[in-house]
Amino acid sequence: MHLRAVAFGTSSNIRYYRWCRLLFDPREYPGIFVSILVRNNVHTAGTGRTAMVFSHGFGCDQNMWRHVWPAFQDQFRIILFDHVGAGRSDLKAYDSRKYSHLEGYADDVVEIGNELRLRDAVFVGHSVSAMVGLLASIRAPSMFRSLVMVGPSPRYIDDDGYLGGFKQQQIDELLDLLSDNHMGWSTTMAPVIMGNPDRPELGQELTNSFCRTDPSIAKEFARVTFYSDNRADLTRVTIPSLILQCSEDLIAPVAVGEYMHRQMPNSKLVILKATGHCPNLSAPEEVISAMRAFVSN
Amino acid sequence: MRQKRLFQRCAPLSQTDHIEEDLEDLYENAPCGYLSLRPDGRIVKANQTFCGWTGYPPGELIGSRLHELLNVAGRIFYETHFAPLLRMQGFFNEVALDFVKKDGERFPALVNAAERTDAAGKPLFIRLTVFNATDRRRYERELLNARDELKVLAGELEQRVAEECAQRLRSDAALTSQREEAQLREQFIAVLGHDLRNPIASIMAGTRLLQKSNIDDKAGTIILSIEKSVVRMANLVENLLDFARGRLGGGITLVLSFQPLEPTLQQVVDELQSAHPESIIETQFALTKSVQADPARIGQLFSNLLGNALTHGTAAEPVTVFAKTEDQFELTVCNAGDQISAATRERLFQPFSRGDARPGKRGLGLGLYIASEIAKAHGGIIDVSSTRELTCFTFKMPLQH
Repeated sequence: MHLRAVAFGTSSNIRYYRWCRLLFDPREYPGIFVSILVRNNVHTAGTGRTAMVFSHGFGCDQNMWRHVWPAFQDQFRIILFDHVGAGRSDLKAYDSRKYSHLEGYADDVVEIGNELRLRDAVFVGHSVSAMVGLLASIRAPSMFRSLVMVGPSPRYIDDDGYLGGFKQQQIDELLDLLSDNHMGWSTTMAPVIMGNPDRPELGQELTNSFCRTDPSIAKEFARVTFYSDNRADLTRVTIPSLILQCSEDLIAPVAVGEYMHRQMPNSKLVILKATGHCPNLSAPEEVISAMRAFVSN
Repeated sequence: MRQKRLFQRCAPLSQTDHIEEDLEDLYENAPCGYLSLRPDGRIVKANQTFCGWTGYPPGELIGSRLHELLNVAGRIFYETHFAPLLRMQGFFNEVALDFVKKDGERFPALVNAAERTDAAGKPLFIRLTVFNATDRRRYERELLNARDELKVLAGELEQRVAEECAQRLRSDAALTSQREEAQLREQFIAVLGHDLRNPIASIMAGTRLLQKSNIDDKAGTIILSIEKSVVRMANLVENLLDFARGRLGGGITLVLSFQPLEPTLQQVVDELQSAHPESIIETQFALTKSVQADPARIGQLFSNLLGNALTHGTAAEPVTVFAKTEDQFELTVCNAGDQISAATRERLFQPFSRGDARPGKRGLGLGLYIASEIAKAHGGIIDVSSTRELTCFTFKMPLQH
């Protein structure tokens, strides 16, 4: 159950890369070989023919899926990655302009998908990443055959007749707080991520690192997340979608899950018993069984 | 071993010092707040310290969720960062949280948390230790403000340096182009001066030849005035050349020798006398010692001084020349005429300064400049004294360098 980094390991697609390198000079195509996978810290595991892409939300990194993905590795090729700016992604690749829209993150998903030649894969997105996957599936229609959205929200701020759960002023406050840097950790603790999550003896360096982000990037990610409005995109999704809604979630209330279900023609809504915003961590079994039921159909 | 010693030291020293630690009291009144939560975030226990800090009566907190003690922004951050972190690594340390007190005020705190799990890894409850961080937060804010201020200052400084540099570059460029222009001008003068010498020499030779042939008085007068003009012109051209050369970095070059100077001086007097037959030149030469000098340059210097005296002096009065060698070589040229004002005297030796010369008697203003440069090259100086009656220029130089 060890994950191997594509850039260093010997998983199946590294052979594909070596083969590609024989045909094309990588120096002539900078940014095509390896670097996308390094940029997004892509890890692969599993043996299945169909791929399952796990995408983390605002706050932490791909470790969010640690209790979920192993359940699918026998049937699926597992693909995990960090969004640029989070986890062990290449912070040098962070571009404020590109990532000022969720489309920037969706482009990355499509790039990773193209890189790994994904077709008819399952996209599993948590929180804001559910919307990222939704945008990616619209952009590259044959790449994903279905979407699993954990705690999604197309808009966090209340609007005329729409209940998102937050007032504009509250989100402004969050952004102020983030810019104050009083929330969370000090700047000097910005991500220096060493070691291996599977080896807790290296834990000292890892303390807090899963959810530690550069404060300025965290603020921009929060801004693009909480000011986003993708309600109009919901109806454009035609592939089967599973909405996993927690019964008590501060960030994505049940009303939001129901709204999404109404708007998305080919969607299924499952209200989990789990509370909080991260059922993938607090109630992985429930998430796994709901996903299983969905993907086996 | 070390552990054992530690325990020994901690053991009561005597029966009378023994104070039983009240663990119940330690929990309730510890110098930090304690909170115990169920996995879903509901508070099951809170100590008095925490209740005191936040202003809630002890019973009121039980059953409410931790979220309710945070503001909206704090809740979002807790849900997206700290709650998952706690699940992933089983603890978190030194997390900054702002609690909302019962009266609505903020209570800044630092929080450590640990998760207690059963044998299967299922969370049973969460323990939180809360430290009052009011002052620390204030200090952090001051640090942040200072950093921001510093950033602004650094930005201003950077801008100023950039502006300063740009201006410097601009003025440097201007200076360079000015310098280039000056160099070009002086080169032009040098070439011009050089090309003017040859025709002057042939005119001079022509007038000398004519003087020797049989000519009538009228022609003699004309030839004399031609000669006068040519001498003056030759002088001007020489000065111009020297000036240009001096400015071009060559300086005044000397060919030093101990040749007697009197013939040179006499020749200058003769030349100028023939050009100014109406003027009276009185000379007194007492050159007993030999002088190390460049005779041609001394002649040029003298010619400039005498020429000036003849031009600017009162025509009816004689121009007097004294030359002597005592402890130094002294050459004085005096003429009667208008007094030179003190202000004029100051800039008399600067190039292109033409004194208070009357129109029509103007030269280039290089004569005295060249003369003083020649004097300097010989280690000497030219002094000027001017009264209403008499104006004297005195050149002094050591007999030997």
